[in-house]
Amino acid sequence: MAASVLVPTVVSPEVVSLYIPAIFTGLLVGLIGLLAISYQKNDLHALILTDIVSLGMLILVAAVGTDLAEALILPGLVVELAEILAISEILMSREMRKMDKTVELIPLPLSFNMEILDTAPTFLAIILIIYGAFLSGFTGGAIAGGGILFYVLSKMTRGVPSNTWEGVAGASGIAWCLWIVGFLIFFVAPSYWLLALFLAAFGIFIKVAFKVGLIGVIGREEFKKDKE
Amino acid sequence: MDLATLGGQFLGTIPLGDIVLYLTTFNLFMFGAALVFTAIIAMSRTESQVEAEFGTLNEREKKVSKDEFKIRRFLSIVCGLATAGAMITGDLFNFTLFVCLIGIVNIGIVAAVKEVDVLDSAFQYGIIAMIATLPLFGGAASILATTGTISLLELVNIPTSAFMLFSSILLFIGVAGESGVAPFFATKAEMFRTAGSPFLVIIHLSSLLVIVRTIEILLIINKPFGI
Repeated sequence: MAASVLVPTVVSPEVVSLYIPAIFTGLLVGLIGLLAISYQKNDLHALILTDIVSLGMLILVAAVGTDLAEALILPGLVVELAEILAISEILMSREMRKMDKTVELIPLPLSFNMEILDTAPTFLAIILIIYGAFLSGFTGGAIAGGGILFYVLSKMTRGVPSNTWEGVAGASGIAWCLWIVGFLIFFVAPSYWLLALFLAAFGIFIKVAFKVGLIGVIGREEFKKDKE
Repeated sequence: MDLATLGGQFLGTIPLGDIVLYLTTFNLFMFGAALVFTAIIAMSRTESQVEAEFGTLNEREKKVSKDEFKIRRFLSIVCGLATAGAMITGDLFNFTLFVCLIGIVNIGIVAAVKEVDVLDSAFQYGIIAMIATLPLFGGAASILATTGTISLLELVNIPTSAFMLFSSILLFIGVAGESGVAPFFATKAEMFRTAGSPFLVIIHLSSLLVIVRTIEILLIINKPFGI
């Protein structure tokens, strides 16, 4: 190859020689996915099969095998997830329009009035949120978000105040801005790295926590508004 | 082919750590144009569509409800900003991410319409856009693998190899699928047949600008007429 790439000597030649097979694997996975889509006439199946093509994309990025490639896989994965969410939303709203009725995101046919639904969710949610805050960052956000989601799902039979949840969505947006500001400080003024680190860590913690907690709740107001 | 030949005049760089933006007159003009269009679209209101009914003298008016209007305006602003970002970025992978963001937002703009045909078309466009991420990211990643960099400022100085040409073809296929131009236009054409026109126009504008910028990037990578 004309352009010589700087490969460190510690990398064994076997690893370097794996690149071309990996590229072919990725393209082959993509082709198999495309073939399957061309045979498939059901829209939902086509959507699921498209995911296989995206997996081929991840293989192509991962084949590079450097630190930078590792950093590039994450945006690739996020883009893939965002697109599949957007398309499935389109599919759902199309089917709803065809059938002329709406479907709940999380169907909850049960409506029971038990004491445990009042006490346990709060306790468990608080434990999860505290543990998440202790972890901070993305992982902590996911754990705390799980706590909030659990709380909402348990309270759904009794009704969640909708105004509060809209406020939570706003806080999530502001926290996201903090995260972005943190990253910008990393680039613009690297000497303030500690401030940037904490902004980014807690920004993403609050954002992910609220986001996970809000899955679908704000979007379609699935919860029963102020039932009591 | 160096940056000044393509871009008119090399005005300087904005170094942000690893990511270095470069400014040429061409770049800057496209960036400004995208921002101006975004501002105009952000201020405008949707028009309502009036359809004559066949066989009678009646007519039907299709309006965009307030909630739908808000969400559409927000998404069109995001789309405009992503286009502006794709115009000015000096990093190949950031460019692909901006193109993907444009693709996702385009689906979002028509997601809430009531016409089943339009939703059908948006679904098909979405499938193509998702398939197109394979050549798009694959092309960018294999350029990274061949040259060891994805900064356009560095790519200008690296001589082209056959594999880079292959990667650029992948990249172009990816951009074509993601922005829904020539071979994939059939999936996107029906998306415009709904009310709420100024917001729909940004779908069109973004793909036009992105294609122009892609050609510049491909010329920077491949240097078809010698350095």
